Amino acid sequence: MTFDIGMPMIPEAALFGLMVLVLLIGLIQRPASPALIGWLTFIGFAGTFGLTFFAREGATLFSGSFANDSLAIFSKKLFVASAALSVLGSLTLRQGSFQRRAAEYHFVLIASVLGMLVLASARELILLFVSFELMSIPLYVLTGFVKRQDAAPEAALKFFLVGTASSAVIVYGISFIIGVTGSTDLAAIPTALVSNDPMMLLGMTLLLAGLGFKIAAFPFHMWAPDTYEAASTPFVAWLAVAPKAAGFIAIIRLYVEGVGAATLVWMPVVAAVAGMTIITGNLMAIPQHNIKRLLAYSGIAHIGYMLVGLAALSANGIAMVLFYLVAYLFGNMGAFFVVEAVARSENSEEIDAFKGLAQRSPLLALAMLVFLLSLGGIPFVAGFWAKLYVFLAAIDRGMYGLVFLGAVLTVVALYYYLLVARRMYIEAPVRTERVQVPTLLGVVIFICILGVVGMGAWPRPWVDATQHAAASVFAAPSASTK
Amino acid sequence: MNGIPLLSIMTWAPFVSAIIIMFCARHRPLLVRLTALAGASVSLVASLIVYVAYDKTMAGFQFHEQLALVPSLGINYLLAIDGMSALLALLTSIIIFAGVFASWTVKERGQEFYALLLLLVTGVYGVFVSLDLFVFFLFYEIAVLPMYLLIGIWGSSGFVKPQGIFGKAMGRTGVGTKEYAAMKLTLYLLFGSAFILVGILALYAEAGSHSFSIIALQQVQFDPTVQKWVFLAFYIGFGILAGIWPLHTWSPDGHASAPTAVSMLHAGVLMKLGAYGVVRLGMGMLPDGMAYWAFLVGTIACINIVYGALSAMAQTDLKYVIAYSSVSHMGVVMLGAATMNVVGLNGAVFQMFAHGIMTGLFFALVGLVYEKAHSRAIFSMGGFGTMMPGIATAFTIAGLSSLGLPATAGFIAEFMTFLGAWSSAHPWWLFPGVIGAFLTAVYVLRVTKQIFWSTQSPDPHFAHLPDAQGPEWAALGILTATLVIFGVAPWIAVGTIDTATTPLIATLPKVAGASLGLLR
Repeated sequence: MTFDIGMPMIPEAALFGLMVLVLLIGLIQRPASPALIGWLTFIGFAGTFGLTFFAREGATLFSGSFANDSLAIFSKKLFVASAALSVLGSLTLRQGSFQRRAAEYHFVLIASVLGMLVLASARELILLFVSFELMSIPLYVLTGFVKRQDAAPEAALKFFLVGTASSAVIVYGISFIIGVTGSTDLAAIPTALVSNDPMMLLGMTLLLAGLGFKIAAFPFHMWAPDTYEAASTPFVAWLAVAPKAAGFIAIIRLYVEGVGAATLVWMPVVAAVAGMTIITGNLMAIPQHNIKRLLAYSGIAHIGYMLVGLAALSANGIAMVLFYLVAYLFGNMGAFFVVEAVARSENSEEIDAFKGLAQRSPLLALAMLVFLLSLGGIPFVAGFWAKLYVFLAAIDRGMYGLVFLGAVLTVVALYYYLLVARRMYIEAPVRTERVQVPTLLGVVIFICILGVVGMGAWPRPWVDATQHAAASVFAAPSASTK
Repeated sequence: MNGIPLLSIMTWAPFVSAIIIMFCARHRPLLVRLTALAGASVSLVASLIVYVAYDKTMAGFQFHEQLALVPSLGINYLLAIDGMSALLALLTSIIIFAGVFASWTVKERGQEFYALLLLLVTGVYGVFVSLDLFVFFLFYEIAVLPMYLLIGIWGSSGFVKPQGIFGKAMGRTGVGTKEYAAMKLTLYLLFGSAFILVGILALYAEAGSHSFSIIALQQVQFDPTVQKWVFLAFYIGFGILAGIWPLHTWSPDGHASAPTAVSMLHAGVLMKLGAYGVVRLGMGMLPDGMAYWAFLVGTIACINIVYGALSAMAQTDLKYVIAYSSVSHMGVVMLGAATMNVVGLNGAVFQMFAHGIMTGLFFALVGLVYEKAHSRAIFSMGGFGTMMPGIATAFTIAGLSSLGLPATAGFIAEFMTFLGAWSSAHPWWLFPGVIGAFLTAVYVLRVTKQIFWSTQSPDPHFAHLPDAQGPEWAALGILTATLVIFGVAPWIAVGTIDTATTPLIATLPKVAGASLGLLR
């Protein structure tokens, strides 16, 4: 086997090297310079992001258990890019623990991203589970990283307990599946599903419940607001996006890929979960006073909208979920970074901290408005297309009720987004001086704005890319799409 | 025409000037206004050219522009215009052009005000000219959302005291304040857009042709059940914006709280957007659905006419009177559409135009009166006619058009609509319409007499009030002149409208109706 840059595992190997390097620096240089570690991680992520462009489609490793199909490559780009943005945003963090323990923070973060990358390519149940855990366990650590704050250990513990319980459920489900199929290969699932074995259905249901925890779908969404509220904001910006995306990739791999007509059994289940998630997320967001909790609940609702696309169980539906993920990445990360900027200046994460922002820092307020409108699904920003595309995919399957529900609850979502806009634009400021935005944070916000507006103004390349990525899911001959 | 994308220029000119205002004209109020005026002028000129160059001998859509947006999903940036949309685009241009003058005196955060106003206008133009449902919806949303900030920031709170059995509960919602009105308006309209979205997606899925083009979808024979439900979705969705009873309550609150130019634009143009949507999407693509629901549409329109007029009579706040009169007059539009014959539909479209100009003029005048006298309470004002003769004259002309006096645009519109109603399947629709016109005369003349032509109010605040000044004259002049010109020479518009309505009516199923021999 000759070495070339398009081989599978190259980005993973690069990240692994980066991880070891960061750990070593942390061991040698005490205390490690946060700037050095941070920039090194960022450059490492950027380099890995570049490497994913060289990855050859269709290449496999370890007798097919690790495969780089177009979906895997697409999602790897998503994971690494979002992690890079998060690192860039956290470079200016001034909290004590980030100063003293920068190496640990970044080491754990890289480990989690590594888990995601492996997950994206995993074609085998055990590898899938192990990589899922490699992704998840660092997240618990990172949530509680600011350990001097009272809420952080509590949130981390909650997240940990819920997360490990769901992992246990996943393993339990996997055990049934392996028992029925006699194989750990994902390719064995479709044939077993068609046989309608009850044990198989039980296993798949347990698996769905476990993954539902990870993506914070109803009724497994409770951990999200507490976790988001307590953890550091640049990390939350990433936590709210990338692990959810990873969960979706896992669901797509397990439930949609190669399953064909047998998939349709899951349509009502996923549709019901989607509907409930949208309702819960949007309604629970209304009474929130803390902006991070509000974004957490709205994030739950967004997961619901992605599930709408998933419920369509068509190539188009999957593509639209991926499109939604990218739109959500830019919109949600951007919103969290603006929250970080305001929170740092005002020492408050209440929505009231945004009062009169438009008169204090017009550009920052405009940025927040654009992100909120994107999340709310307003034209010329990414979220509009994202929402319409998932609806379109769902309506192709005749799910009028679900689409109507989603469309009506979008109005509810806009209500609470507009309440934030009202604080920023209509109400008078409490203080008048400008909000100081660190340059790097400004850069990250600007990148997110570019993403949101770019996707909104010219969505075509993104649609093409996501459709290409989703094509591999339905490439199997048994697939039936509309 | 010669490859110049006139429709795109018309649509995007306000947007471009909004961007320029936002980023290049900070803290220079005059430059902001001039940039806004330039954007509005470009659109006005473009829409005039389109209107004049529109080929009446060759009906149908003209001035096509196309750009593939997302080919894999059949989404195209597809623009074209027919007689109906040409007239409504012209209306938009006139209103925004006058609106820029009318809001010349906005002081606080003027830059953001003009930027949002122009953004809104882009959305309105886009809806009138787009032939792709997806793009249509995109522009529709843009036309709705800036409203929240425009009313919330620059609006004025009214003097509404909630009374009656719900008074206590209503008081807590902050009814009458601008924040309440802004949120109510936005949520109502967005709620409506949810219906529209589902309707659009349903058409797309049912047609199965993977195209959002209105022209392509018009060729498709949809199943009658689909037509029935999708038409209902469109009727509710667009109807909210058109102010149909009982979903109209956002309109008085919103229009009364909005700043002058926004009221002008919203009552003058945006409500027409709703009616346009019902006609273009509902009637144009779902003929059987229209036939099925015509009775409901017409009857609710009758309720609108009478209920709106009665409500207007009961108001003591000048802006609320005008706002409720819009509800009443939009009923005339919807009634004309429900008649399902050419005369009635022509009347409806003409009424869209006439009412747009008229209500724009009204709101401009109310804004001027408020600015000079700082009052909207009708019965505390009096005798302003001697102090502000220009405003008084314009108000009287608008009022006369409102009650349908011959030689004003309002007469032509109402006459055609009522004629259509009489020859429709339900001739009794005529009577609520005429009663509405009578009630309009009552409240309009009463208000006009009280404020302008009665004896001088003893209140010293109203002792020395100036007339309209400078740019304000421009707004009043343009709107009043349009009202009269289209009243004495209605053929300027009717011929053009006819090219759009005749083919549209031809696609509808034939309905039995009293024939007066006046109809083709």
